[in-house]
Amino acid sequence: MNKLTAALMEELNVEMIQIGGLQIPESVVVSWGIMAFLVVCSILLTRNLRVDHISKRQAMLETVYNFGSSFFEGLLGKEGKGYVPYLMTVALYIGCCNLIGVFGIKPPTKDLNVTAALALMSIILIEYAGIHARGGVGFLKSLAAPTPVMTPMNILEIAIRPTSLCMRLFGNVLGAFVIMELIKMVVPVFVPAVFSLYFDLFDGLIQTYVFVFLTSLFMKESIGGEE
Amino acid sequence: MNGLVALGAGIAALTGIGGGIGIGIATGKATEAISRQPEASGKIQTNLLLGAALAEGTAIFGFVVALLIILFLG
Repeated sequence: MNKLTAALMEELNVEMIQIGGLQIPESVVVSWGIMAFLVVCSILLTRNLRVDHISKRQAMLETVYNFGSSFFEGLLGKEGKGYVPYLMTVALYIGCCNLIGVFGIKPPTKDLNVTAALALMSIILIEYAGIHARGGVGFLKSLAAPTPVMTPMNILEIAIRPTSLCMRLFGNVLGAFVIMELIKMVVPVFVPAVFSLYFDLFDGLIQTYVFVFLTSLFMKESIGGEE
Repeated sequence: MNGLVALGAGIAALTGIGGGIGIGIATGKATEAISRQPEASGKIQTNLLLGAALAEGTAIFGFVVALLIILFLG
């Protein structure tokens, strides 16, 4: 039992990598790698964009962008058009984070700090969207809607929503990681690949979708609850 | 002390029951809805997936609590 606890504890702790004179957590280094990958992809994929006679690469890029953009605009409405780039960026980042487990690297979202930071950004954006769309007084009044009895619940929700977002993403990624490690300890040959298909690919993508969808849903509720 | 810790972790993991029942009922209703109106199957499927992920979230909370009990109390 203690060996299992020790193994779990070791998986849960964030390893530090020595770079120069600093101790940098492993999740930060992997995040840098993902950032570099996404930036390089963005630069390479958007070279030589044209208006007419577009290449196949540009057509595919436009299809993907339109798909994401129409999806979020359907959720957020016209006022939410400005938030779409942020949401799509977060979706790409979390997607890459969850999928990097397929390559044997520890996903950064396994670190509670990463998911907490993402949830914090989401809640700041949600509250800012509410204040921006309704004004300061309108935002305070929205805390008392639909009835003033709900006010403590509404105030609590400002804290509960990012917590649930953070814990859901963290729990799913950690659970998948722990189960994959256990499977690899028991049957190292072929079975991990099959399970990895479910845990890393399917579950990772679904969690990405749920995180971004919930953020945009809360944003929509914060912006245009009454109109 | 080890026995109580294991018991606590086991009870915390029982939240999976709620998640399983909830997702099962939701899937049943969704298939019923699709059978009634096959044209709306896309929207129904989207809502089903979202509801399933949210319900699974609560089950995952139980898993995280069990893990924390084992790690910090065992």
